[in-house]
Amino acid sequence: METDKILGLFKTVTSDVVIEIAVVIAASVAIIWLSQRLFPWIAEHLHGKQRLFVLAMIPTLRVIVFVLATIWIVPMVIETSMQNMVAILGAAGLAIGFAMKDYVSSLVAGIVAVYELPYRPGDWIEVNGTYGEVKHIGMRAVEIVTPDDTVVFIPHLKLWTELIHNANNGGASLMCVTHFYLAPNHDPNLVRSILEDVTLTSPYVKLQNPISVSVREQPWGTHYRIKAYPIDPRQQFQFISDLTARGKNCLRAASIDFANLSPEHAVQVTP
Amino acid sequence: MSSENNWRIIRLAEFKRPDAPASTRVQQLFQHIRNLFPRVEERSDDEEQSDFPGYREFDLKPGADALDVAFDEWREDGDSGIKFLISPPFSGTANIVREWAVRHQWPSLTAPKEEQFCGIDVESWWREQSAKQWIIDDFAKYWQRRTDGLTFIRALLPKLLRGELGQGLVVCDSWSFAFLQRAWPVNLPNVYCFAAADEVLLRQVGIQAEDKKLKSLAARAFGNVGLALALWAVEQDSEHQLPSMPPDCRDETAFVLYTLLLHRGLAGESLQRLLPIITADQLDVQLLQLQQAKLISYEDNEWYVTVYGYLAVRDFLRSRGFFVDAF
Repeated sequence: METDKILGLFKTVTSDVVIEIAVVIAASVAIIWLSQRLFPWIAEHLHGKQRLFVLAMIPTLRVIVFVLATIWIVPMVIETSMQNMVAILGAAGLAIGFAMKDYVSSLVAGIVAVYELPYRPGDWIEVNGTYGEVKHIGMRAVEIVTPDDTVVFIPHLKLWTELIHNANNGGASLMCVTHFYLAPNHDPNLVRSILEDVTLTSPYVKLQNPISVSVREQPWGTHYRIKAYPIDPRQQFQFISDLTARGKNCLRAASIDFANLSPEHAVQVTP
Repeated sequence: MSSENNWRIIRLAEFKRPDAPASTRVQQLFQHIRNLFPRVEERSDDEEQSDFPGYREFDLKPGADALDVAFDEWREDGDSGIKFLISPPFSGTANIVREWAVRHQWPSLTAPKEEQFCGIDVESWWREQSAKQWIIDDFAKYWQRRTDGLTFIRALLPKLLRGELGQGLVVCDSWSFAFLQRAWPVNLPNVYCFAAADEVLLRQVGIQAEDKKLKSLAARAFGNVGLALALWAVEQDSEHQLPSMPPDCRDETAFVLYTLLLHRGLAGESLQRLLPIITADQLDVQLLQLQQAKLISYEDNEWYVTVYGYLAVRDFLRSRGFFVDAF
């Protein structure tokens, strides 16, 4: 009796239906596979906003294809009445609740991520102290590449509980902070002027965005911070290196001494 | 043909590019995509064949007449102070101003030497060539984009604006001007440029074609007469196409091209000083690669972006987010 009830939920599956389902699944997989190769290839030839826009289309397209394929397939195998849907969803919910809670939570968070956009491909994010560029947003996890070229997989599940730090938030502007620690006895206006010119003459700097140099007196000396934007977020480390190298040369040429930080002071400095 | 002079001086804020017909926009889009996805093209081994048609000069007198119309009253008053004339690359503005200066016997000031860029001693530079009325025909040669390369121009600009150095007309390259406005953020007064060339002006400088074609040409050249002449020369020559970006362009390629445009050409050693992040051998590779692609050329010991490569270079830099000129 129970078996009859369960079987009553499903339609008779003929060989034609099986073939159609197979074709829909194959087409969906092909579209997703193709988008995951074609869009990154196009994005590699683009820069700035255009690149980020193309990359952001990958997870969106995948969700659209997934939803359309589900809408296509489900009515072919299930009698779509309210009673049947409640029964199937109830059974699925029970199974998920016991066996695949985290996995399904990640999948749901993955779908939420496509709409809420806490991260998009091309964004620079930090989750749990790991910083890197989002390379791929999968169904279950987001794949980031750290500056040391290590791939880190972060389950979308973290979206519910962790703080997600997004440095460029889908845009092409990413602020970089470059630090200089100087001995206290110097003219701060001269140093600020030098550091502003160092930034202005860096080939990496995005001239459309503001450049600022802030000063803060510390027990060990004076802490300078240059805040500026590279032309492309991917240039952030070369940009900081360029500012640091040329900034040091210019400060040394102006006979300005660098601070000697004691270890206990060094740990107090936060970016 | 009308004998009316179609050259006009306008304020920079009034500059408007010529409207592009739909077909030209499609062509520009196609060119943009071509630049984004460059392919390796087979090059002709015959050097003679690969040379582009000669870049034709145009009659400078009508341009100088337009300067007379715009500035005669100011010139005759002899009041101290300066006017800026912004010159998009290859527009011929500097040549026109030189012609105008000869007509009125205004001397052309000589740019300071590279060693002087880092000092504020404007007086000694000025003393050698002081004049009541003068022109600066290339303001891009008065500074360099290095940490100590802006000191001189920062000392010079206030003196010019206060009228301490007499009356002068300063020609500044449009890329250089865009950067200087960022480096010295003062809203400069009296900034002018030539109005964008339209089909009538193109006909005046000797390009003979139907209106539709000339409109399209003016739009493709952004209203720049020199650029329009170069594009026209290539269009008339079936053996040549405009150069496009080579396939393996990197950040360094963009830095080299941007720096060359910013300073309207540079010697190799100066370029190396301005881009210390690129090693000398890498820089040579970049320069040779760009030269082979006909995007830059080497003349009189300096590297320049070519007139034929300018559109591709500008589009390349703009698509990468560089700070491009207003033209």
